[in-house]
Amino acid sequence: MSTSGYHPDLDPASAPPFPKAALPVLNNMQLRKNVAHAVDVIQAKRGRLVAEKTDWQQLRAAGAAIRDHALENLSFYLQQFEERCTAAGGVVHWAADAAEARRIILDLLRQEQADEVIKIKTMTSAEIQLNPYLESAGVKVFETDLAEIILQLGNDEPSHIVVPALHVNRGQVREIFARSMNRPDLSDDPQALTAAARSYLRQKFLTVPTAISGANFLIAETGGVAIVESEGNGRMCLTLPRALITVAGIEKVLPRFQDLEVMLQVLARSATGERMNPYTSLWTGVTPGDGPQRFHVVLLDNGRSSILKRETERQTLRCIRCAACMNSCPVYRQTGGHAYGSVYPGPIGAILTPQLTELHHAQSLPYASSLCGACYEVCPVKINIPEILIDLRAQVTDQERRQTRRWFDPMYLGMRVASFVFASAGRFHAAQRLGRIGMRLFTGKDGWIHSLPGMGAKWTQSRDLRGLPQQTFHEWWAARDKAAGKEAQ
Amino acid sequence: MNHSSTSRQRVLDRIRAAAPGSAARERDYAALERPYTRTGSLTAETRIALMTERLREYDAGVTECASGELPAAVAAALAASGRKTFVAPAGLPSAWLAPGFEWKIDRDLSADQIEGVEGVVTACFCGIADSGTIVLHHSAAEGRRLVSLLPDWHLCILRATQIVETLPEYFARCPQPPGLVTWISGPSATADIEMTRIKGVHGPRFLQVIVVRD
Repeated sequence: MSTSGYHPDLDPASAPPFPKAALPVLNNMQLRKNVAHAVDVIQAKRGRLVAEKTDWQQLRAAGAAIRDHALENLSFYLQQFEERCTAAGGVVHWAADAAEARRIILDLLRQEQADEVIKIKTMTSAEIQLNPYLESAGVKVFETDLAEIILQLGNDEPSHIVVPALHVNRGQVREIFARSMNRPDLSDDPQALTAAARSYLRQKFLTVPTAISGANFLIAETGGVAIVESEGNGRMCLTLPRALITVAGIEKVLPRFQDLEVMLQVLARSATGERMNPYTSLWTGVTPGDGPQRFHVVLLDNGRSSILKRETERQTLRCIRCAACMNSCPVYRQTGGHAYGSVYPGPIGAILTPQLTELHHAQSLPYASSLCGACYEVCPVKINIPEILIDLRAQVTDQERRQTRRWFDPMYLGMRVASFVFASAGRFHAAQRLGRIGMRLFTGKDGWIHSLPGMGAKWTQSRDLRGLPQQTFHEWWAARDKAAGKEAQ
Repeated sequence: MNHSSTSRQRVLDRIRAAAPGSAARERDYAALERPYTRTGSLTAETRIALMTERLREYDAGVTECASGELPAAVAAALAASGRKTFVAPAGLPSAWLAPGFEWKIDRDLSADQIEGVEGVVTACFCGIADSGTIVLHHSAAEGRRLVSLLPDWHLCILRATQIVETLPEYFARCPQPPGLVTWISGPSATADIEMTRIKGVHGPRFLQVIVVRD
């Protein structure tokens, strides 16, 4: 049972389309309140800290340029990363898709004879649905990020990429912790809840010898990996275990160490509205005497290389996962993250998810936006999300045009009929006359249509429609010409 | 692994087909525009004041002392913490090991041995005033990563000359890219419950900094 009363499906292959998935959320006032509160708080903090940065626009421009350069030369930088990471004692694996990544990780865990594993929050592992796979193979997974613990113990799914349990309030967290940690005495004070998580995990950190992490950045120049976090659970997982497995999307690479001077200035401000997140860790392969002595990186494609093809869409891969776009999105604010049917919700999810599935799934997501542009404005690497949304809508439409089942779609049929009617003046005028007669039935004395039957009801449910006038402009003009002609004679 | 090496080729081929890469890659990289603020404009005095202010905003404690007073300042900070047992990196200057406390020197201490200690004292590589960040490169005086992680109380010695104003100035101070880095900006924290910032989850719940004037 999830905290929100239903279990959200975040697999794009099986999740319902956005308008349908959004309904249970829109009817859940508590959840909407939780989401709105959280995004309002982050937005306000972000606004203050971005405003104090006088070179914000220059940082954004530089961030976009660095990411573009890395993506343009991705194969070079990935191979450089592989070479340097290997030289530093790491082992690099390549996974073409989610299934392969899961297999590689399980093989590595088997080599480590691990029946338990501790994890730092990684959306990439959620993308490949790693936890259920490992659990079914008999490996017990312990999430260590506070929000991830809330979700794992509450059998819920992430609704945000930075604050995954943002839809859950303190009372709900208390309930989950009290039940699963057997602490009926627990209060709903966030301080007490956080302390409960600390003691719940302490022993795990000290005893579980294998960890899984994601990566915020891969550094090609050094073969290093960087992770930003707040709690210290990341540092625990990166330092205490004997073996560490990092799973990272291939787009995460930066050319040089120095490029972090841009990324780290924009990431925390955009993500949590802090000048800097409490902890950032960077490590390179293995360091004798310090931290895990066996280190593996799994580089994951899983649809990313196909996004590189088109110049416009390539921007998608600049993303540094700060979530500023979802925090600023008026649609996300109402629906929360689960409606997006993907671990990547909000505007970035609306462009990333359909592309990761090469438009086989999630075709409704490019429409889950009002195109207001707020996401573009806040994006620290200047991804023009509205532009990509429009481009994807065109691709979805092109795709539908090629499908035979389109003939059963009333919208498509309606459009075909409209196209036929609009193509000739005679047909158009005939349709107008016919429409006038037909619509008279529904038009009120005040000249407005208040309620239509069938498909039309969707329109009149929330607004009135002007009735068709008794005379069109064309008819009036023709009649006027005729009258003028008579007068002239 | 066999299946992995063929996947490597597949993934790289797909990437190259979609983005062949620039023939002038190095020149392109050098030409990337970096119009953002690189060097700071504050005086040494205001830079120190900014570092102190930003650290305090994170709820870190900050005191100052003159170079010659450091051992006394360390002893005072340890006493004020109310703690008795401390761990020190192997390379920590011996003058900082204030008498009257129980010291464990980290010569390959196990995690369990460090876990039982109340506090830790380390040096650092640099401080960044703009974001209130302490940077560790884990030299002998800064210690292994574990040492500054498990104890609940962390005292960090920061020399005024180690403070830079901007993040790019820190990167300019790295002659070689470091292999192991921890950036620390305040005590461990979370805002995962209703966006309320709670101090202290898994990392040290208390961060104390002594700024040393040279």
